[in-house]
This record gives sequence, structure tokens and C-alpha cells, in this order.
Amino acid sequence: MKIENHILDILQLYEYAMAIGKSLDYKESCDLFLKLLLKRKNLNAAWILESKDNMLQSTYAIPFGEEIKVKKDDATSEFLDTIGFSKVITASNIVSSIAPIPIEEGKTAIFNLDAQGYLFLYSKKDNISNKDLSQLEPVIKKFTINLKACKAFKEQEQLLHNLEIRNQELSDYAHMVSHDLKSPLRSVDTLAAWLMEDNKDRLDDHCNTQLGLIRSNVEKMDALISGILNYSTIGKNQIETYKVDLNLLLKDVLNLMEIPSHISIDIPELPTILGDKYRLQQLFQNLISNAVKYNDKPKGLIEIGVEDKKQFWEFYIKDNGKGINEAYFKKIFKVFEKLENTQDSTGVGLSIVKKIVDLYGGKIWLKSELGAGTTFYFTLKKHKDGTA
Amino acid sequence: MLITTTNTLEIAEAISNHVGKNAALITIGEHTEIDINDLINQLNNSDIKFMGGLFPKVIHGNSILDKGIVINTLNNLESMFLVKNISTKDYTIPNVVFNKNQDYSLFTYVDGLTSNISHYLSELYENYGMQTNYFGGGAGSLSLEQKPCVFNNDGIFQDAAVFAIMKMSSRIGVRHGWSKVDGPFIVTSAEGNVIKEINWRNPFEVYKEVVEAHSGKAFTDDNFFDIAKGYPFGILKDDAECIVRDPLMVNDKGELVCVGELEDNTVVDILNGDEDSLVEAAKSAAEDSIKKASMPRKAILIDCISRILFLEDNFDKELKAITSTLENNFDNISIGGALTLGEISSYGEGFLEFYNKTIVVGLFE
Repeated sequence: MKIENHILDILQLYEYAMAIGKSLDYKESCDLFLKLLLKRKNLNAAWILESKDNMLQSTYAIPFGEEIKVKKDDATSEFLDTIGFSKVITASNIVSSIAPIPIEEGKTAIFNLDAQGYLFLYSKKDNISNKDLSQLEPVIKKFTINLKACKAFKEQEQLLHNLEIRNQELSDYAHMVSHDLKSPLRSVDTLAAWLMEDNKDRLDDHCNTQLGLIRSNVEKMDALISGILNYSTIGKNQIETYKVDLNLLLKDVLNLMEIPSHISIDIPELPTILGDKYRLQQLFQNLISNAVKYNDKPKGLIEIGVEDKKQFWEFYIKDNGKGINEAYFKKIFKVFEKLENTQDSTGVGLSIVKKIVDLYGGKIWLKSELGAGTTFYFTLKKHKDGTA
Repeated sequence: MLITTTNTLEIAEAISNHVGKNAALITIGEHTEIDINDLINQLNNSDIKFMGGLFPKVIHGNSILDKGIVINTLNNLESMFLVKNISTKDYTIPNVVFNKNQDYSLFTYVDGLTSNISHYLSELYENYGMQTNYFGGGAGSLSLEQKPCVFNNDGIFQDAAVFAIMKMSSRIGVRHGWSKVDGPFIVTSAEGNVIKEINWRNPFEVYKEVVEAHSGKAFTDDNFFDIAKGYPFGILKDDAECIVRDPLMVNDKGELVCVGELEDNTVVDILNGDEDSLVEAAKSAAEDSIKKASMPRKAILIDCISRILFLEDNFDKELKAITSTLENNFDNISIGGALTLGEISSYGEGFLEFYNKTIVVGLFE
């Protein structure tokens, strides 16, 4: 055989191999490879059968012909079991019974694609030989892997799609529940306020206290619902990022909060980072608010700091409060987990903090000593221009 | 039948008399001085079902004509369809129920200057498979300016195809006669009908090296097609004649623009032919078609316009080789057809292909 023929064989293999793996869509992958094979080898048909629950089913066919969905009887099973990797056979009743097109003459090459089923290549003119099988073996193996990848990709896409639907449903549910729960709460609060106001002179201290408790619990419930709503909306929408000067942001946060006079807050010069002002505000406000809330010292100290870690910024918020038992280090970031059942704690604040940090591709953790205080650390990933 | 009058009423009457209650295949030379929309209206008024195309030239017997209308009767018509949006692939091939014991022939004219013709042919084969023979060609103007060129009862369209399925057997012969000068080469990058890279190099550089060495001629700014018309590409196939791709022009990036598409990593040769090999191939195509034919009533020739551009005055020899071969075997066979921008048939009943620089002879019972 001339060397030129060897080169041609190799180049043809190259062409087939390069047609495989161009797509992760099952039909497109089959089209790209099998139509090429049909053209170059002058074949008439190609189809793939998969075995599912003792049924043989066509997953691809060119030409389309009749869809194959037949029970795998003993004769067919026995026939398919004889195919190690590949086989060329002349027209037979068995092949005809599992072909989408009528087969009365010619030859069929069958390839075992393992879990991906069986590939059939049909030539009406007998122009398929054992040499073709040997030549095609490596590319058919590559094609099998391509088909497997297509299915895995489709499953992954389906999962993501389902997840998106579930997330949307959950988000819609949270909005609906929040709205429906807040409405009667507002009525209860209004009614309690009217009762207190209209009966100012008739209510004794005990009744006033009870009504006050009702209003305070309603307020807590309202905060809890708002917290849930906030939690469910973080990450739902695209973050719009812009330059945020954290010095100005912290100043706004502290103005909004009522910091008791016995607590002092130490803030160094902070960087300007890329982010969304609303979410960053929520992040710092929740952490500072916790540091204030759980401070039992006569002279409370809160220290905010930052370190440039090249790829990201590492912030910390340190307090000299009650401290947290190590057993709760992970638990506290979960929704509705709280260490103390205090009046103004909803158990959502740190979950929101974690969700915001996650959204910015960062991490959050803490160090704490009971009685001595807690330090919350979190990182925010930097962007290419050096800001987070 | 050849019609030379330009009066659309007379044309419609002549067609009606010729085809009777059958459908008509209307093949028109692009320089024929008629109002095609008026003709379509007249044919609709006469209640004639028809499809057709405008071509650089038409064939009638041994004559090649710039002007004129060639009529073929589409006997035993099963169905006729118009497919729009070939380039955007935004169409569905209609479902047709084929009788297992019946021979069918599908005849199609497609806008030869639109893109994604291969996809259209692939869709036809996917849907109809081996239940029919396929035969046809690319319509359009030799100016290579894309304009409306295929028509049926609904009007005249560009970026479209028309096809008819007939309950009749047909025999097809396909040949080109071009042979290898150099190769194989790998088209390492291609997009549609543009070759962007050959063997990881600028395609014109590679092409130029081979063609200038073989022809002894040098490419200048304005002689690309004069030389390239004799040096097409051939896409290699197993145990069969290669599929020819005709380089039309070189763009300012040194990319080669062809008639018909190529895919990335296609293995090609650079081909050349001469008068003898082309005429011999035409004769062989006619011989192939008559091998299994019993009593064909008509022959339709789909011959590439670039063969006449290459053979020039000697094209008569090619046509004569076909017509004499057919007439020697079948008395009174009517011969008509077109010089086309691309040719269509299934090669040896295999997957459907779009050819260039090729002759397809179809004999219809």
C-alpha cells in the first residue's frame, strides 16, 4: 500500500476525531459526527439504540424513519450480546426488526457503546468492511465519551433549571408569606395602640404592661418577617457594583444605629471598594449591632479593622462582649439560630451577613473567648482593578 | 419544450397545453425578457401547479440558451413545497407519507447563492431518507448577486427552495472529471462557504503555491477566477469521486470564497481537469444514468455553469457527449435542463450532497 493511502486514512481519522466533542448537545453531537461519516463513507443510515428497562429505544436516527421502541426479546438480547466492540453483518431479520428504516439488502456495522447503547451504520451498497471497523474504533470510543458528556451536561442543566424554579418558588413564597403575615400584625399593633390610648385612664399598670408586651412582640415579629424577606432576596438580583468609600459608609451606619454611650467604636482608615452600598451597609450594620447587643461590659469596646491580602480584603469586627461558645461557631450562621432568646433578636442577622459575604465570593469565620469577647472575620474578593 | 416568446399569456397557454393537468417544472434563462410575477399570475389564472427557477443558462436538446423557458412535465406529482429562510435554518420540512411499494423522485431548485444549503439537503434526507431519489440544482444569477430566483404558485423568492415529490422512478448519473494535482490538505478553518485556513496557513498562499506551479500562470489582482476556474478543491470520500468545491474569489484577508460549504478539518485535494476528462465524465454520467433505466421519457441535465466557463466554446462537446449517449439508447427522449450554481443528488443513493463543477443526469420514467 502506498504511503499516500496511509496518510489519507490518518487524515480521515483526524477529520472524524475533530468532528467529535464540538457540542454538548446530544443531537448536535450525533449530527456533527454521524452525518460526516455518512457523507465520507457513502453510507445510507445511522441510528443509536439504548436499552432501558428491557426495552430497546432509538435515541438518534438519520434518516428519522420510524421511532424504535421494542421489547428486547431473547433473540435480540442474544444477538446484541455477541457484539464485543463492533461487528459487520449482512441484512437480517433481527437487524431489520430494530432499524428505523426498512433493511432488505446491504451491510450494517454495529458498535457497542456500553452504557450509551449501540450505534448502527447501514450501507445499502455493501461499502462497509472490517477495515472500517478497525479504523473507526478509536473515534467511536471518543464519540461514546462525547455522548456520555452530553447526557451529564443535560442532567446538570435540568438540575440547575429545577433549582432556579425552586428558588423562584421559595422567593415568591417568602414574599407572599411576609405580606400576608405583616398585614394582620399591623392590625394587631394598631388595635393594641388604640386600646392603650382610648383607655388610658381605665387600664391598670398590669394591663398596660400586657398591652406593651403585645406591641413589643408584634414589633419583634415584624422585624423577623423583614429579616426573612431580606434573607430571601439577597443574591436573587444581579449586584450592581460601584465604588463605595467604606469610611463614609460606616459613618452612615453608625448614624443610623443608636450606639449606647458606654460603648466606643474604633475605626481606622478603610479602603474604597467595588460593591453595592445597600448590601455592604447591611453587612456591617448586622455585625456591629451584634457586637453592641451582646456587650455586657461597663465599658464596651468595638474595633473594626482591615488587612490587604492582595486577592481580597480581610475585615474584622472585634468586641469585648460575652463571647460565644465554640460549639455555636457554625450554627450561628444558620437562619433562626440564636444564642439567647432576647426580645430584639430575630436569628436572621448573621445568616444575612453570611449570604452577603458568599455573594461577594468571600468567607466568614469567628474567634471567641467566653467572657472576653468575639472577633468576626470576613473577606471580600478583590476585582481586577484592586477593589473588592 | 422550449418557449421563446416573452408574452406571459402565450407562455401560460403553451405551458398549459404541454403539461395538461400535470404540474410544470419551469426553467428560465436569467436574461429572458419576461415579467416573472406576471407569468406567475397568468399561470395561477390558468390553474397550473408549477415550480421553477432562474438560471444563468438553460439547456434544450443540444442548445445552450441565455434566454428561453424550458418546460418539463412533472408527472404523478405527490406533493410540491416551498421552503423559505434556508440561510437561517428557520423552517420545517413537511411530512410526506411514502408508499413502500412505490418509487419516488424528489426534484428541487434552491437559491444557489444562499448559505446553509447543506443543512437544507440534510433536512430533506433526515425526513425522507432512502424513500426517494433526489435531484436538483442551485438557481441564481451568473452575476453572483443574490436575488429572487426560485418560484412556485406563491411567488418568486430568494433564500428559498422549491421541491416536488413525484411517484415515478428515476435514474441518476453524477460525474465531474476533475483529478488530483496536489494534496491532501486539511481545511483547518472554514466558515460556511469561506475557507479561512489550509494546513494552519493562509489558504490563498497554499493554493497559490500549488496552482501557480502547476499552471505556469501567476495570480494578479484581477485574474483569480480566470485561473481558479480550472483548479477546484475536491473533498475526499471513500471509494467514490470526490465532491468538488469551486473557489470563486479571494477576499482581502486571503480567504477563499467558494460555491458551497466546507466544514472545519475537511480533507481536500486541489484538482485540475482538461477538455477530454470533463467531456469523458459527462459521457460517463449519462452512461451511469442509463444503466438501470428502462423507458425514460425525459432527461433533465443539471450542469454546473463553471464547466462552461472553463470549457468555453468546447462545452458543446460535453453537451453532445451526453445527448448522443442518451439518444443512442432511447428514441424520442426529451432533453432539457439548466446550467446551475451547484448541483444536487444523492451519490449512489447515499447521503444527499451539494456539488460544484459537476454534471448530474437524471432520467425520469
